[in-house]
Amino acid sequence: MLATVVKLIARRLLAAVPILLVVSALLFCVLRLLPVDPAAMSLPPTATIAQIEAKRREMGLDRPLPEQYAMWLKAALHGDFGRSIQFGRQAGGLVAASLPATIELAAAAMILAAILGFGGGLLLFHLRGTLFESIADLGSILLLSIPEFLWGLILLFVFGVVLHALPFTGEVSPNLPQPDITGFILLDSLLVGRFDVFLSACRHLILPAFALGLAFSPTIMRVLRSSLFDIYHEDYIQQARLRGLSETQILLRHALKNAILPTLTLAGVQFGILFSGTLLVEVIYSYPGMGNLMVDAVRNADLPLIQAIALTYCIVVLIINTLVDALHIVLNPKLRTH
Amino acid sequence: MAGPLTRSLHSPRVLVALGMVLCVAFCAAFAGLVAPHDPSEQNLLSILTPPLWDAGADPHFLLGTDSLGRDVLSRLIFGARTAMIVAFAASTGAMVIGSILAHVSGYFGGVADWIIGRLVDIWMSFPPVILSLILMVGLGVGLDRVILAIVLVDWTRFCRVLRSEVMVVTRHDYVAAARLLGFTHWQTILREIVPATAPLLITLFSLEMAIAIVVEAILSFVGLGVGPDQVAWGQMIADARQNVYQSPWDLLLPILAIVFTVAAFNLLGDGLRRALDVRLAEAGH
Amino acid sequence: MSVLQARDLTISARLGGTVVTVIRSLSFDLEPGKIIGLVGESGAGKTMIGRAIAQVLPPGFAITAGSLLFGGDDLVTMAPDRRRALLGRAIAFIPQAPMTALNPVKTIGAQFDEHLSRLGQRGRQQRRERALAMLAASGLPRPEGLLAQYPHQLSGGMCQRVLIASAFASNPRLVIADEPTTALDATTHRQILRLIAAMQREHATAVIFITHDLRLAADLCDDIIVLYAGRPVESGPARAVLSAPAHPYARCLQLANPSMSAQRRALYVMPDQMPSLRQMQTMSGCSFAPRCPLAVEECRRNEPPAVSVAAGHVVACSRAAATPSIDVRESAPSMPDEAARNVLQVVNLAKRYGVGRGLFNEATTVAAVKDATFDIGENEFVALVGESGSGKSTVAKMLVGLERPSSGKILFNGDDLTEPALRNRSRVAASVQMIFQDPRSALNPRRRIASIVTQVMEAGHRHARWDERQKRSQQLLGEVGLAADFAARLPDHLSGGQRQRINIARALCIPPRLLIADEIVSGLDVSIQAQLLNLLARLRAELGFAMLFISHDLSVVRHLCSRVLVMYRGEIVEQGRTETVFGDPHHPHTRALVAATSPQA
Repeated sequence: MLATVVKLIARRLLAAVPILLVVSALLFCVLRLLPVDPAAMSLPPTATIAQIEAKRREMGLDRPLPEQYAMWLKAALHGDFGRSIQFGRQAGGLVAASLPATIELAAAAMILAAILGFGGGLLLFHLRGTLFESIADLGSILLLSIPEFLWGLILLFVFGVVLHALPFTGEVSPNLPQPDITGFILLDSLLVGRFDVFLSACRHLILPAFALGLAFSPTIMRVLRSSLFDIYHEDYIQQARLRGLSETQILLRHALKNAILPTLTLAGVQFGILFSGTLLVEVIYSYPGMGNLMVDAVRNADLPLIQAIALTYCIVVLIINTLVDALHIVLNPKLRTH
Repeated sequence: MAGPLTRSLHSPRVLVALGMVLCVAFCAAFAGLVAPHDPSEQNLLSILTPPLWDAGADPHFLLGTDSLGRDVLSRLIFGARTAMIVAFAASTGAMVIGSILAHVSGYFGGVADWIIGRLVDIWMSFPPVILSLILMVGLGVGLDRVILAIVLVDWTRFCRVLRSEVMVVTRHDYVAAARLLGFTHWQTILREIVPATAPLLITLFSLEMAIAIVVEAILSFVGLGVGPDQVAWGQMIADARQNVYQSPWDLLLPILAIVFTVAAFNLLGDGLRRALDVRLAEAGH
Repeated sequence: MSVLQARDLTISARLGGTVVTVIRSLSFDLEPGKIIGLVGESGAGKTMIGRAIAQVLPPGFAITAGSLLFGGDDLVTMAPDRRRALLGRAIAFIPQAPMTALNPVKTIGAQFDEHLSRLGQRGRQQRRERALAMLAASGLPRPEGLLAQYPHQLSGGMCQRVLIASAFASNPRLVIADEPTTALDATTHRQILRLIAAMQREHATAVIFITHDLRLAADLCDDIIVLYAGRPVESGPARAVLSAPAHPYARCLQLANPSMSAQRRALYVMPDQMPSLRQMQTMSGCSFAPRCPLAVEECRRNEPPAVSVAAGHVVACSRAAATPSIDVRESAPSMPDEAARNVLQVVNLAKRYGVGRGLFNEATTVAAVKDATFDIGENEFVALVGESGSGKSTVAKMLVGLERPSSGKILFNGDDLTEPALRNRSRVAASVQMIFQDPRSALNPRRRIASIVTQVMEAGHRHARWDERQKRSQQLLGEVGLAADFAARLPDHLSGGQRQRINIARALCIPPRLLIADEIVSGLDVSIQAQLLNLLARLRAELGFAMLFISHDLSVVRHLCSRVLVMYRGEIVEQGRTETVFGDPHHPHTRALVAATSPQA
């Protein structure tokens, strides 16, 4: 089984290479549509036209677009994504510094979304045929209609502004030190033994993680419910009943294992979208992740940085999809044995 | 098609949702008549007044004013117009492109299917929020740009879901029978397949309206939306964030407006899905 | 003491606002080690009995009277927990669709292990050994490897063997087998039946065998109960019911079934179909009376009395004595002599599919059809037989142009249809038509019947007026024996047999020269099958066309077709006159096919 999974991951990553090439090329073209001149922007406003022209030549902006892309690609393959215009630092380095915070937030949100989605799905299924069924169903549609950035604002307003229960700015209290070993604050604070920092980071994580978790759980809920519905019409459920298994045994041993498969397919797509959903939540909670950096870069037309961040998002989403596929193979014997 | 569609009107879920949608659509269509004020008229003498039910309200402004003294109710109503225009145009565009490609891909299979499939793969590896932001950076702000960006991002939703439905329908023997009777490919697609996929198409359209409203709000919220001269719910939220302590209703009201409208379209989509008996693996925001 | 005693068992269903009787007054005694057969066409209510025993009736259905005594305890009134304790232990079930009755994400071993541990078997190793022994006893080769496999890696027949092994693992007193062979390939039917019989003897189990096939039931069972519209119409020893049916329904059914060995004869056609639950509600008297050739006024007024015709042979009919007089008056469908002229010549036709092409795999091809060569004469009905997956349908699809042949020629009236210039289907669309296997899938559910049968009139550049199409649809409905008011209906409102008639009518709209019929009577009840077979024979006499008749049922083929082609793994391994091929089969596969068909009746 391990060999199959490894082979699949390898195959998927290999297939991702041409996709990433096309994606980066598309990004490059779209961003070149911008009516801004990166050369002029990277020089002080007092620069003369001749200086700008020289800079343009230096940056290769006078060459045809495909050639510019080839130059960018060559540099990118060596880890050089260009210098950020607004920060004057390597774009790659800026992304690497902000990525861990986003990963932490997304991971916490995914766990929450999975827990809420599974619990809610089982609850919805359990309520079938009762008076509460349509109430719960309408409730899940309402939940489905609140996107993550509205959850962010609502939670911030209720728990931050009104109740003063939880912090809602940054990833740790400003008066505490921020250890930086791996970049993951939860991990680093434990590594240096600062439990106060760890706790503060956890408290800062709660609201943004819930905003994302709440926004992405209703879909998982509804898919789990409807797959359970479908599976209860299958012959093997009836056959299990005829073998004398109790309803609880049927649910736990037979139905759930099958219902997870379609749920997982959807959760994979959802987690990819969730990862990019961190962007708005980070903006709302001033969370120092890649999303905030992206919005900064967008507002300042910082092309190299935009390009590096966008590509990072795509890579992470591809990785998430590959992992979900691998999990699928582990759980679905039909995929494993064909 | 008339049969199942009229039947779906007997579903209370569809009726309630349709009522909610029409309510928003009415405000959007007759914003000029319904709104008590000009949405961009500033009354610097009465800024951040609370809505009518709070102490210190100005009866002149039913739902209060924002930080520039603009009437919140009127801005909500004109925001509905922006949201509905964007959502309708964008959903239509995405539906047209997505469903044409889906039918070509699912019906003909082979090379066409492969090319369209890879195109969808590439698109799907862009997270939608990121892709729309980048498109807005490239295209610049404006109502038409927002619509174009949403169309360019969301055609894949239609294409992906419809393609598999088209494949299911195409496998039916009545499609093969039509070909044997001498139907051309076009006749077969239009007369045998499209009627079968139309319920799904309508359901997806309703759900896409909900998605487009959210995306428009997101783009306006980060300042890359319809532009400063238009009123948009996302913009109202972004403005109200600065004054959330003094005037929380300015933040909550546009949030409620978005949730109400999005819920209406989601409910409509769900009701149609049940009434038209559409099988649909739900795909989220 | 009897294992199971049913006493006046009555099952009702709530339909809309009314309550309808689904099973009426069913009584029987099942002795230990005996097999009782419940036989009936679809809609007779036979599957309700198994569901009643386990109390897993569909929503709205309930037992409203009578009792089911299992070893002295009434299963009807028993507490659910006690009944559940019996299920899987004292009472076991063999399902209809073995492929879907096993959990797809669990190995055979895990599912067997779960069952054995519920039975109280201690120790993983002991359970494993018991599972291996049971699987081996079910005739499954290499049971060790099997335990680690998943259901989708097994064939339907193997899945059913696993389920039979699991059903008998608890030494149950009662096993209910609900159509255990229907979903399987015809060649495996006998083997599965033999296995059930062997297991039943070994464990001295009582078995309820539910089936639609009277001949199959007679082979296996000690006693038989024939059900019609929810009522037991005849019961008695299996031999007696088969050889001397006393109820007119049983007799008509026998005459409607084409025979494999006896003289070819015409099929008896019962009009209409079994009354639906709704119709039964408003009927009085005998429910078979509307279709019964012996019915008298009396039958329509009063419930038929139970008449004993021999020891233990009881029939619910007042006219039982007259039953032997039912006979088929028509003569068998005529077989044309060696055809004067060929309509179709197929030469070295082949179809290869490329599989596994990818970055990591070498491209390989699989031959679905290899060098098929045959011809069909004018007005000739030629059969193409073989088990599923033998390439029959691929041949059909290539003939009508739905698949492109990899090589070979298809000559239709001398024109090669594989030539690029002739690939344009509409040139021959009118003369070669296909009747599809599954009428549900073959009829667009959104078109009305009139539009479906005249669909060819809107194809391409034809734009027939609506009144022309109405007129033509009326003619076509008449030809296939349906009333004119069907024209305005939708396919969903039709029964399976009626849909298949529409399917035929569509192919006749522009009179065809050659029809390709792909398994068009499989899955239909015997009485409906007889109606369709007679219809095809009559249409040939009236309109004149040739047909390639694809089927797995040799008795149907023998009845209808003068020549037969036998396909096996993509190759035509034997062809010739039907009598010759079936009477003296040469190829081992043909022999297996012939042997698998019941030798009786």
